[in-house]
Amino acid sequence: MSDLALILAVAAITYASRASFLLRPAPAHEGRSGPFLRLFPLALFVALATVGLVAPDGEPAVTPALAGGAGAVVGAIVTRRSLVGVVVVGAGFFYLVRWLVG
Amino acid sequence: MLRHPSFRRGLRDGFLLFFAVALFGVGFGVLAVQAGLPPWLASLASVVIVSGAAQFTMVGLLAAGPGPVLIAAAGLALRHVPMSAALSRMIGERARQVRAALAWVLVDETFGLTVNAARRGEEDLVAYKAAVDLELYSGWVTGTVLGAYVGAGLDPARLGIDVLFPLLFLGLAAPLVRSRREWVTALAAVAAGVMAVVVLPPAWRETGAAAVAAAVGAAVRE
Repeated sequence: MSDLALILAVAAITYASRASFLLRPAPAHEGRSGPFLRLFPLALFVALATVGLVAPDGEPAVTPALAGGAGAVVGAIVTRRSLVGVVVVGAGFFYLVRWLVG
Repeated sequence: MLRHPSFRRGLRDGFLLFFAVALFGVGFGVLAVQAGLPPWLASLASVVIVSGAAQFTMVGLLAAGPGPVLIAAAGLALRHVPMSAALSRMIGERARQVRAALAWVLVDETFGLTVNAARRGEEDLVAYKAAVDLELYSGWVTGTVLGAYVGAGLDPARLGIDVLFPLLFLGLAAPLVRSRREWVTALAAVAAGVMAVVVLPPAWRETGAAAVAAAVGAAVRE
Protein backbone atom coordinates (compact mmCIF):
# COMPACT_ATOMS: atom_id res chain seq x y z
CA MET A 1 0.00 0.00 0.00
CA SER A 2 1.45 3.38 -0.98
CA ASP A 3 1.67 6.26 1.50
CA LEU A 4 -1.01 8.15 -0.45
CA ALA A 5 -3.42 5.20 -0.28
CA LEU A 6 -2.71 4.81 3.44
CA ILE A 7 -3.47 8.49 4.09
CA LEU A 8 -6.73 8.25 2.15
CA ALA A 9 -7.70 5.07 4.03
CA VAL A 10 -7.08 6.76 7.43
CA ALA A 11 -9.09 9.75 6.22
CA ALA A 12 -11.97 7.48 5.17
CA ILE A 13 -12.01 5.65 8.53
CA THR A 14 -11.90 8.96 10.42
CA TYR A 15 -14.65 10.60 8.38
CA ALA A 16 -16.89 7.52 8.51
CA SER A 17 -16.74 7.53 12.31
CA ARG A 18 -17.48 11.27 12.45
CA ALA A 19 -20.40 11.06 10.05
CA SER A 20 -21.82 7.84 11.54
CA PHE A 21 -24.70 9.48 13.42
CA LEU A 22 -24.70 12.91 11.81
CA LEU A 23 -25.83 11.47 8.48
CA ARG A 24 -28.73 9.49 9.96
CA PRO A 25 -32.14 10.93 10.79
CA ALA A 26 -32.36 11.77 14.49
CA PRO A 27 -34.36 9.19 16.49
CA ALA A 28 -37.79 10.31 17.71
CA HIS A 29 -36.91 9.54 21.33
CA GLU A 30 -33.54 9.15 22.98
CA GLY A 31 -34.03 5.62 24.43
CA ARG A 32 -31.63 3.96 26.84
CA SER A 33 -28.55 5.51 25.24
CA GLY A 34 -29.67 9.02 26.29
CA PRO A 35 -27.88 9.24 29.68
CA PHE A 36 -24.73 7.66 28.20
CA LEU A 37 -24.64 10.15 25.31
CA ARG A 38 -25.32 13.11 27.62
CA LEU A 39 -22.41 12.09 29.88
CA PHE A 40 -20.00 11.02 27.13
CA PRO A 41 -18.62 14.54 26.36
CA LEU A 42 -17.74 15.11 30.02
CA ALA A 43 -16.21 11.63 30.30
CA LEU A 44 -14.22 12.16 27.10
CA PHE A 45 -12.81 15.56 28.14
CA VAL A 46 -11.70 14.25 31.54
CA ALA A 47 -10.23 11.09 29.97
CA LEU A 48 -8.34 13.11 27.33
CA ALA A 49 -6.95 15.38 30.06
CA THR A 50 -6.02 12.51 32.38
CA VAL A 51 -4.24 10.47 29.71
CA GLY A 52 -2.47 13.59 28.38
CA LEU A 53 -1.23 14.64 31.82
CA VAL A 54 -0.35 11.20 33.22
CA ALA A 55 1.40 9.95 30.08
CA PRO A 56 2.36 12.98 27.97
CA ASP A 57 4.83 10.94 25.93
CA GLY A 58 2.75 7.77 25.82
CA GLU A 59 4.11 6.11 28.96
CA PRO A 60 3.14 6.96 32.57
CA ALA A 61 5.63 9.43 34.05
CA VAL A 62 5.92 12.07 36.77
CA THR A 63 6.40 15.30 34.81
CA PRO A 64 5.58 19.01 35.22
CA ALA A 65 2.38 18.22 33.27
CA LEU A 66 0.93 16.81 36.51
CA ALA A 67 1.56 20.16 38.18
CA GLY A 68 -0.31 21.73 35.28
CA GLY A 69 -3.26 19.45 36.04
CA ALA A 70 -3.19 20.42 39.73
CA GLY A 71 -3.00 24.06 38.72
CA ALA A 72 -6.00 23.63 36.44
CA VAL A 73 -8.04 22.30 39.37
CA VAL A 74 -6.96 25.31 41.44
CA GLY A 75 -7.85 27.56 38.52
CA ALA A 76 -11.32 25.97 38.28
CA ILE A 77 -11.96 26.67 41.97
CA VAL A 78 -10.52 30.19 42.04
CA THR A 79 -12.10 31.41 38.78
CA ARG A 80 -15.44 29.60 39.23
CA ARG A 81 -14.80 27.15 36.38
CA SER A 82 -13.84 29.73 33.78
CA LEU A 83 -12.29 28.04 30.72
CA VAL A 84 -9.60 30.71 30.37
CA GLY A 85 -8.94 30.65 34.13
CA VAL A 86 -8.42 26.88 34.13
CA VAL A 87 -6.02 26.97 31.18
CA VAL A 88 -4.05 30.04 32.35
CA VAL A 89 -3.58 28.90 35.96
CA GLY A 90 -2.81 25.34 34.83
CA ALA A 91 -0.26 26.57 32.29
CA GLY A 92 1.24 28.86 34.94
CA PHE A 93 1.78 25.93 37.31
CA PHE A 94 3.20 23.82 34.46
CA TYR A 95 5.74 26.42 33.29
CA LEU A 96 6.69 27.34 36.87
CA VAL A 97 7.41 23.73 37.83
CA ARG A 98 9.20 23.07 34.54
CA TRP A 99 11.40 26.11 35.17
CA LEU A 100 12.07 25.05 38.79
CA VAL A 101 13.08 21.48 37.91
CA GLY A 102 15.02 22.59 34.86
CA MET B 1 -22.69 33.95 7.68
CA LEU B 2 -19.77 36.22 8.69
CA ARG B 3 -22.18 38.67 10.35
CA HIS B 4 -24.09 35.98 12.23
CA PRO B 5 -23.70 36.58 16.00
CA SER B 6 -23.13 32.87 16.70
CA PHE B 7 -20.47 32.69 13.97
CA ARG B 8 -18.72 35.74 15.45
CA ARG B 9 -18.81 34.23 18.94
CA GLY B 10 -17.33 31.05 17.48
CA LEU B 11 -14.53 33.07 15.87
CA ARG B 12 -13.85 34.78 19.20
CA ASP B 13 -13.83 31.53 21.21
CA GLY B 14 -11.67 29.71 18.66
CA PHE B 15 -9.13 32.50 18.21
CA LEU B 16 -6.48 31.08 20.55
CA LEU B 17 -7.19 27.60 19.23
CA PHE B 18 -5.94 28.71 15.81
CA PHE B 19 -2.46 29.50 17.16
CA ALA B 20 -2.21 26.49 19.49
CA VAL B 21 -3.30 24.10 16.74
CA ALA B 22 -1.01 25.78 14.19
CA LEU B 23 1.99 25.18 16.47
CA PHE B 24 0.91 21.58 16.87
CA GLY B 25 0.53 21.38 13.08
CA VAL B 26 4.12 22.59 12.68
CA GLY B 27 5.16 19.69 14.93
CA PHE B 28 3.24 17.24 12.76
CA GLY B 29 4.73 18.63 9.55
CA VAL B 30 8.26 18.36 10.91
CA LEU B 31 7.76 14.80 12.21
CA ALA B 32 6.00 13.59 9.06
CA VAL B 33 8.87 14.74 6.84
CA GLN B 34 11.39 13.24 9.26
CA ALA B 35 9.44 9.94 9.03
CA GLY B 36 9.90 9.93 5.26
CA LEU B 37 6.75 11.53 3.84
CA PRO B 38 7.33 14.15 1.15
CA PRO B 39 6.12 17.62 2.26
CA TRP B 40 3.15 17.63 -0.12
CA LEU B 41 1.91 14.31 1.27
CA ALA B 42 2.35 15.49 4.86
CA SER B 43 0.27 18.57 3.97
CA LEU B 44 -2.36 16.47 2.20
CA ALA B 45 -2.71 14.31 5.33
CA SER B 46 -3.76 17.37 7.33
CA VAL B 47 -6.14 18.49 4.59
CA VAL B 48 -8.01 15.17 4.35
CA ILE B 49 -7.67 13.54 7.80
CA VAL B 50 -7.87 16.57 10.18
CA SER B 51 -7.04 14.52 13.27
CA GLY B 52 -3.89 15.19 15.25
CA ALA B 53 -4.18 11.91 17.14
CA ALA B 54 -4.65 9.80 14.00
CA GLN B 55 -1.95 11.63 12.06
CA PHE B 56 0.74 11.50 14.77
CA THR B 57 -0.06 7.81 15.28
CA MET B 58 0.13 7.17 11.54
CA VAL B 59 3.54 8.82 11.31
CA GLY B 60 4.77 6.94 14.39
CA LEU B 61 3.69 3.58 12.92
CA LEU B 62 4.60 4.29 9.31
CA ALA B 63 7.60 1.97 9.42
CA ALA B 64 5.42 -0.87 10.84
CA GLY B 65 3.28 -1.00 7.69
CA PRO B 66 -0.37 -0.28 6.87
CA GLY B 67 -1.95 -2.94 9.15
CA PRO B 68 -0.97 -1.40 12.51
CA VAL B 69 -1.71 2.10 11.19
CA LEU B 70 -5.26 1.18 10.14
CA ILE B 71 -6.00 -0.71 13.37
CA ALA B 72 -4.77 2.25 15.44
CA ALA B 73 -6.76 4.68 13.27
CA ALA B 74 -9.92 2.63 13.84
CA GLY B 75 -9.31 2.61 17.60
CA LEU B 76 -8.81 6.36 17.70
CA ALA B 77 -11.83 6.96 15.46
CA LEU B 78 -14.20 5.01 17.72
CA ARG B 79 -14.61 7.97 20.06
CA HIS B 80 -16.08 10.00 17.20
CA VAL B 81 -19.14 7.73 17.09
CA PRO B 82 -20.70 8.89 20.39
CA MET B 83 -19.47 12.43 19.65
CA SER B 84 -21.33 12.24 16.34
CA ALA B 85 -24.49 11.01 18.10
CA ALA B 86 -24.26 13.74 20.76
CA LEU B 87 -23.70 16.50 18.18
CA SER B 88 -26.57 15.16 16.07
CA ARG B 89 -28.90 15.51 19.07
CA MET B 90 -27.62 19.01 19.83
CA ILE B 91 -28.16 20.49 16.38
CA GLY B 92 -31.56 18.88 15.74
CA GLU B 93 -33.08 18.86 12.26
CA ARG B 94 -30.56 20.08 9.69
CA ALA B 95 -29.97 19.48 5.99
CA ARG B 96 -27.87 16.45 5.11
CA GLN B 97 -25.15 18.53 3.46
CA VAL B 98 -24.84 20.68 6.61
CA ARG B 99 -24.44 17.54 8.72
CA ALA B 100 -21.87 16.14 6.27
CA ALA B 101 -19.86 19.37 6.51
CA LEU B 102 -20.01 19.42 10.33
CA ALA B 103 -18.66 15.86 10.42
CA TRP B 104 -15.54 16.91 8.48
CA VAL B 105 -13.96 18.73 11.45
CA LEU B 106 -15.61 16.84 14.32
CA VAL B 107 -12.52 16.95 16.52
CA ASP B 108 -12.19 16.96 20.32
CA GLU B 109 -11.46 20.69 20.63
CA THR B 110 -14.26 22.04 18.42
CA PHE B 111 -16.69 19.47 19.83
CA GLY B 112 -15.79 20.64 23.34
CA LEU B 113 -16.30 24.30 22.53
CA THR B 114 -19.63 23.45 20.87
CA VAL B 115 -20.82 21.45 23.90
CA ASN B 116 -19.99 24.41 26.13
CA ALA B 117 -21.75 26.79 23.73
CA ALA B 118 -24.84 24.56 23.82
CA ARG B 119 -24.78 24.62 27.61
CA ARG B 120 -24.69 28.45 27.49
CA GLY B 121 -27.72 28.38 25.18
CA GLU B 122 -25.94 29.48 21.99
CA GLU B 123 -28.47 30.66 19.43
CA ASP B 124 -27.18 28.80 16.35
CA LEU B 125 -24.84 25.91 17.09
CA VAL B 126 -24.18 25.18 13.43
CA ALA B 127 -22.90 28.72 12.76
CA TYR B 128 -20.88 28.61 16.00
CA LYS B 129 -19.26 25.26 15.17
CA ALA B 130 -18.61 26.33 11.58
CA ALA B 131 -16.54 29.25 12.92
CA VAL B 132 -14.45 27.21 15.37
CA ASP B 133 -14.05 24.49 12.72
CA LEU B 134 -12.79 27.07 10.25
CA GLU B 135 -10.19 28.37 12.70
CA LEU B 136 -9.01 24.93 13.75
CA TYR B 137 -8.84 23.65 10.18
CA SER B 138 -6.97 26.67 8.83
CA GLY B 139 -4.54 26.61 11.78
CA TRP B 140 -3.91 22.88 11.42
CA VAL B 141 -3.30 22.97 7.67
CA THR B 142 -1.25 26.18 7.77
CA GLY B 143 0.93 24.85 10.58
CA THR B 144 1.48 21.54 8.82
CA VAL B 145 2.50 23.21 5.54
CA LEU B 146 4.94 25.47 7.41
CA GLY B 147 6.38 22.55 9.37
CA ALA B 148 6.68 20.30 6.33
CA TYR B 149 8.31 22.86 4.03
CA VAL B 150 10.35 25.12 6.31
CA GLY B 151 10.27 23.47 9.73
CA ALA B 152 13.43 21.38 9.62
CA GLY B 153 15.23 21.81 12.94
CA LEU B 154 12.18 23.18 14.78
CA ASP B 155 10.84 21.36 17.84
CA PRO B 156 7.50 22.86 18.99
CA ALA B 157 7.23 20.22 21.74
CA ARG B 158 10.01 22.04 23.60
CA LEU B 159 7.63 24.96 24.11
CA GLY B 160 5.28 22.70 26.08
CA ILE B 161 2.38 23.35 23.72
CA ASP B 162 1.23 19.72 24.01
CA VAL B 163 0.35 20.28 27.68
CA LEU B 164 -2.08 23.06 26.78
CA PHE B 165 -4.50 20.59 25.17
CA PRO B 166 -5.13 18.49 28.32
CA LEU B 167 -5.58 21.77 30.21
CA LEU B 168 -8.08 22.93 27.58
CA PHE B 169 -10.05 19.70 28.06
CA LEU B 170 -10.09 20.22 31.83
CA GLY B 171 -11.36 23.74 31.21
CA LEU B 172 -14.10 22.38 28.96
CA ALA B 173 -15.06 19.70 31.49
CA ALA B 174 -15.18 21.99 34.54
CA PRO B 175 -18.54 23.70 33.83
CA LEU B 176 -20.15 20.36 32.95
CA VAL B 177 -19.71 18.94 36.47
CA ARG B 178 -22.71 19.93 38.60
CA SER B 179 -24.84 16.97 39.68
CA ARG B 180 -23.86 13.87 41.63
CA ARG B 181 -24.06 11.84 38.43
CA GLU B 182 -21.63 14.20 36.68
CA TRP B 183 -19.20 14.11 39.62
CA VAL B 184 -19.26 10.30 39.52
CA THR B 185 -18.64 10.40 35.75
CA ALA B 186 -15.69 12.80 36.09
CA LEU B 187 -14.06 10.81 38.91
CA ALA B 188 -14.64 7.56 37.00
CA ALA B 189 -13.00 9.13 33.94
CA VAL B 190 -9.90 10.04 35.99
CA ALA B 191 -9.67 6.51 37.42
CA ALA B 192 -10.37 4.87 34.06
CA GLY B 193 -7.87 7.20 32.34
CA VAL B 194 -5.10 6.20 34.77
CA MET B 195 -6.00 2.52 34.37
CA ALA B 196 -6.12 2.86 30.59
CA VAL B 197 -2.58 4.28 30.52
CA VAL B 198 -1.39 1.13 32.28
CA VAL B 199 -3.40 -1.58 30.51
CA LEU B 200 -4.43 -0.31 27.05
CA PRO B 201 -2.39 0.49 23.93
CA PRO B 202 -2.22 4.26 23.23
CA ALA B 203 -4.81 4.29 20.42
CA TRP B 204 -7.56 2.86 22.65
CA ARG B 205 -6.95 4.72 25.92
CA GLU B 206 -9.15 7.81 25.67
CA THR B 207 -12.04 6.03 23.95
CA GLY B 208 -11.98 3.12 26.39
CA ALA B 209 -11.74 5.31 29.48
CA ALA B 210 -14.50 7.67 28.31
CA ALA B 211 -16.86 4.81 27.42
CA VAL B 212 -16.36 3.15 30.83
CA ALA B 213 -16.82 6.44 32.71
CA ALA B 214 -19.95 7.42 30.76
CA ALA B 215 -21.42 3.96 31.39
CA VAL B 216 -20.65 4.23 35.12
CA GLY B 217 -22.23 7.69 35.25
CA ALA B 218 -25.29 6.52 33.31
CA ALA B 219 -25.81 3.74 35.88
CA VAL B 220 -26.02 6.28 38.73
CA ARG B 221 -29.48 7.56 39.68
CA GLU B 222 -30.00 11.30 39.24
